[in-house]
Amino acid sequence: MSEAGFKPGVAVEIEQSLYSKRKKIYPRQVHGLFAALRTSGVVVLLGLYYIIPWLQWDDRQMVLFDLPVRKFYIFGMVFWPQDFFYLALLLIIAAMSLFFFTAVAGRLWCGYACPQTVWTEAFLWIERKIEGSRPQQMKRDKAPMSWNKFRVKASKHFIWIVFSLFTGLTFVGYFSPIRELTYNFFTFNNGPWEIFWIFFYGFATYGNAGWLREQVCTYMCPYARFQSVMIDNDTLVISYDAERGDPRGSRKRSADPKQQGLGDCIDCTICVQVCPTGIDIRDGLQYECIGCAACIDACDDVMDEMGYAKGLIRYTTENTLKGKVTHVFRPRTLAYGFILLVITFGAAYAMLNRTPLAFDMIRDRNTLYRETSDGLIENVYIVKIMNKDKRAHRYQLSVSGLDGISLRMDVDHIEVNSGEMVEIPVRAVVNSGAIHRRSNELSFKLVAEDVEDLAMTEDARFIGPLAER
Amino acid sequence: MTPPSASSPTPPPAIPLIQRVVAILWPSFITAGIATIVFATVFDPKTLFMEYDFSRMAIYSVSFFLFWLMGVINAMSTCFFLMPCSIFNKCKTRQDAAAPE
Repeated sequence: MSEAGFKPGVAVEIEQSLYSKRKKIYPRQVHGLFAALRTSGVVVLLGLYYIIPWLQWDDRQMVLFDLPVRKFYIFGMVFWPQDFFYLALLLIIAAMSLFFFTAVAGRLWCGYACPQTVWTEAFLWIERKIEGSRPQQMKRDKAPMSWNKFRVKASKHFIWIVFSLFTGLTFVGYFSPIRELTYNFFTFNNGPWEIFWIFFYGFATYGNAGWLREQVCTYMCPYARFQSVMIDNDTLVISYDAERGDPRGSRKRSADPKQQGLGDCIDCTICVQVCPTGIDIRDGLQYECIGCAACIDACDDVMDEMGYAKGLIRYTTENTLKGKVTHVFRPRTLAYGFILLVITFGAAYAMLNRTPLAFDMIRDRNTLYRETSDGLIENVYIVKIMNKDKRAHRYQLSVSGLDGISLRMDVDHIEVNSGEMVEIPVRAVVNSGAIHRRSNELSFKLVAEDVEDLAMTEDARFIGPLAER
Repeated sequence: MTPPSASSPTPPPAIPLIQRVVAILWPSFITAGIATIVFATVFDPKTLFMEYDFSRMAIYSVSFFLFWLMGVINAMSTCFFLMPCSIFNKCKTRQDAAAPE
């Protein structure tokens, strides 16, 4: 910067960098232990994502968040909007496990499991299959447009788009039965909103994994920005061992680096070339690093070739690098781990012991009470029963609260199928002699005939003709 | 390089265009998603719009985009009110900076 400070050159520079295009990153392909782990992560996670909606459970889709009918099926369980509580618990568990694993081993999530990483890897794989290696891609991008370049680019984008649409179709298939959806998709019979969301999600996949890539992590990911609050000097991070590597410099394989005054880093920059976010890990721990360990694999290969020990770039902790002891068990990990365990067990307990039944008594407000032909006082209710269990049940409804009160229904049994709701009018009748107040509290009890534990009680008012006497 | 002083302020680090766009579209997208889930949990859209023949999917989708739009308006106004006051004096700073000594 010139002595004058904020002056012409600088202003122009800002203007340019504000709107300058990002430099495209061409991650070089890498092989090794962590690359294999990441690839298996991609295969398993994408496999699960694409296969799960096709699996059946008792004649219905195994995992289906059926928005059109407001019911959520997960394995044998049926959830209703009223069970939102469990979703909230699940989100808390997810957040706590993210905290826990980040504190222990850094950005494991980002490097191996984040959808952004997983789909970007898949898109990179397609890109390499069609466009070739990093140097080939760079050369083609620099070259002027030609028939051949157009053909290669067009086929890449075509495959990307098909893959993205398939992804979008699968995504919508989690919310609307996928078999119908797919059949309708190929016969052009889907509703406008289904089509819209298939294309919307497809477009998001294509944009994020094909074009935005590391910019999603840099600019869109909140986790990347607040990771530092979970990381400390005992956290496993990917780091370059500057003590061992510096001073860097190229040398002949036969040369003795010590004689030349060099460290183990031969400055081949392969660690930079493989980095999907385009950083130089040798500059230290950086916000952009997603912890994918590609640089570890790459550097280990180079070290092997040079005949040096592996691990110039490795998973390590700040404390180890400084020659101190690393503590896996420390207040932070113990606290995160403890909270995680408590919430997980609590949620599992609540989920397993939840009464798969919802029951409501709604008094008919149109009439206060009626006298029946046989001289009894009658109140009318609507009973609402939701069977959240995975099989049908037959229920008994009973009432207490007034002497000699009984129920009259038009049906003999209340039978509700799995995941369904019924509304039945019910009349409570009692002799007027039993009524001593105008408004009385009744207690209704619903019990499943086949399972004694499956029961719920619900209070409701009974209005009587006390004023007349 | 001289240390930054009041007369020669160090320019703030440049923020790429994509980051500006994302800062408005993305948080509002997330909050719209949350708002839609809460909305759909508390109300059954079918009973809210009983007299119309809308499908739930349509109501969820439209409400999501309305929430998103609200979020975008919100984020844009925040950015607008965060603009330094000097910018409104006909971009004087930039003219000064571009003028030769």
